[in-house]
Amino acid sequence: MNPAPVSPLAVKASGLVKRYGDVLAVDGLDLEIPAGQFFGLLGPNGSGKTSTIHMLATLIRPTSGSASVHGHDVLRESVQTRASIGLVFQESALDRTLSIAENLRFAGLLYNLPAKVIEERAAGLLELFGLADKRNRPVGSLSGGMRRALDIVRGVIHHPKILFLDEPTIGLDLPNRRKIWRFIENLRAQTGMTVLLTTHYLEEADTCDHVAFIKSGKLVQSGSPAEMIASLGRYIVEIESQDIETLARRLAPILGPCLREGNVAYFRYAADDVTRLASLQSEAGIQVRALRWRQPNLNDVFLWVAEGKL
Amino acid sequence: MAHWRPVYAVLEREVVRMFRQRTRLVSAMVRPLIWLFVIGAGFGAVLQQAGGVSYQQFLVPGVLGMTMLFGAMLAALTMVYDKESGVMRMLIMAPFPHYWIVVAKMLAAALAALLQALLLLILLAALGYLDTQMRFGLLVVALLATSAACAGIGMLVAAFTRTLDNFAAIMNFVIFPVFFLSGSLYPVIRLPMALKAVALANPYTYGVDLLKHAVLGVLPSGLGADFAASTDLAVLAGFTTAALLVASWRFSRESAYEPMIRILTGKRDG
Repeated sequence: MNPAPVSPLAVKASGLVKRYGDVLAVDGLDLEIPAGQFFGLLGPNGSGKTSTIHMLATLIRPTSGSASVHGHDVLRESVQTRASIGLVFQESALDRTLSIAENLRFAGLLYNLPAKVIEERAAGLLELFGLADKRNRPVGSLSGGMRRALDIVRGVIHHPKILFLDEPTIGLDLPNRRKIWRFIENLRAQTGMTVLLTTHYLEEADTCDHVAFIKSGKLVQSGSPAEMIASLGRYIVEIESQDIETLARRLAPILGPCLREGNVAYFRYAADDVTRLASLQSEAGIQVRALRWRQPNLNDVFLWVAEGKL
Repeated sequence: MAHWRPVYAVLEREVVRMFRQRTRLVSAMVRPLIWLFVIGAGFGAVLQQAGGVSYQQFLVPGVLGMTMLFGAMLAALTMVYDKESGVMRMLIMAPFPHYWIVVAKMLAAALAALLQALLLLILLAALGYLDTQMRFGLLVVALLATSAACAGIGMLVAAFTRTLDNFAAIMNFVIFPVFFLSGSLYPVIRLPMALKAVALANPYTYGVDLLKHAVLGVLPSGLGADFAASTDLAVLAGFTTAALLVASWRFSRESAYEPMIRILTGKRDG
């Protein structure tokens, strides 16, 4: 009898725990990421995303539990694990005093690549990331967007099997964020690399194959972005009123719990039929300033998860 | 597994940076010359010539040592600076054991010290401060052993220091005492008991002593070297090995680099 074919796993973590003193940063996390997937790890600040990435990157040791990256155990084979991953963190890992080419040479040599190979790969990657004409510029003189692009080039110079992107677009303006994403898409198309992403900009996670929300170090929801959005309901109903307290209380039996933000309450609405919504004003029995409904998105999933109401 | 390319990368970066940071290099040359000309001439006028050696000549091994001490310390402390910049992050995510960073950085610091000492030697030769009776073979050994020991001191400090905020403190409590409490400025043998004890415990003392063996040649006792060259070499080799082991041990502990990972992340995000 043949065993069932199993797709190779890029990341496998079971019961991963990281404790800092009294703080439980990661609380028994289980994670499986198939090779080649674009995986988004999402969650509010302090939810344990970065600690998780650091444990998978062998930079910090799990308090308990186990994890492997492309078959390499992060504790017992930390060197092989590090060889198979590329890392791009929130703060750039570049030498500002050296030029672009010198930085890539330094990074490549650290991965034991011959100088000739580094030069060839650097030329191709700088082309892909729009930095080809700046290869002799000192990194200190680059704009934030260019530096981030270079940081990603630096992270993939050794052709890792998996790329960890921890908030890759943080601090960048919209045009630069879009540019970085176009680069990453091109890179994925060219190499088929597994990508593990954490981000606060949830629209960036829309293109993920799979997303997982973590909160207080625990996995709370996971699935494809479309599935997760669908699990929220058909519509998000936004109602604006001066007396949001009363409104929420009176509509709860009909619409369920809501999220509140200033004078606006957000309800989930599962049905396709929106005619019912027209009568909400009278059912609330108080002045409603605005009533609108729209398609839910990942931001809504994030908010509902963060509030612990999903 | 061979890690020679990463080591080469770290050495190359050190040399590139050294020659690119002109002010660092110029001050590394000017500092010992100021000591030699100003302090040397000043005290030389007060002190009697003894055994045909002027105080300035006596200072030559001391200022050579000084160049290596400062050169190695500054290079080793770029390791601390690297903790704050992204370079250390490149190093800790690279695929070799973390103690290898210490090996590479210590070699780089020794190389920086050695290159600066060679530059100073050329300057000293041009200015006529080098004795033709110098023992060249021993000088090469002394330069290698002293630069390695100075790199060792630097790596120990770097391994136990969190940020460059304490750089002034390192200057005051490490570099200056190590320099003053050695035989650089005066023969160790003539120091008062308590200071002599400190000087004897100072590994750098033996580096300067070995340099005296090489540069000053045979002198009346009390002015030339204080110890046998073999003693100097044994102490330097022993200290360098111990420093390398302690710094490596320290750096392979997570507590040494975990805080800096969190600092580099920018925020304390779980």
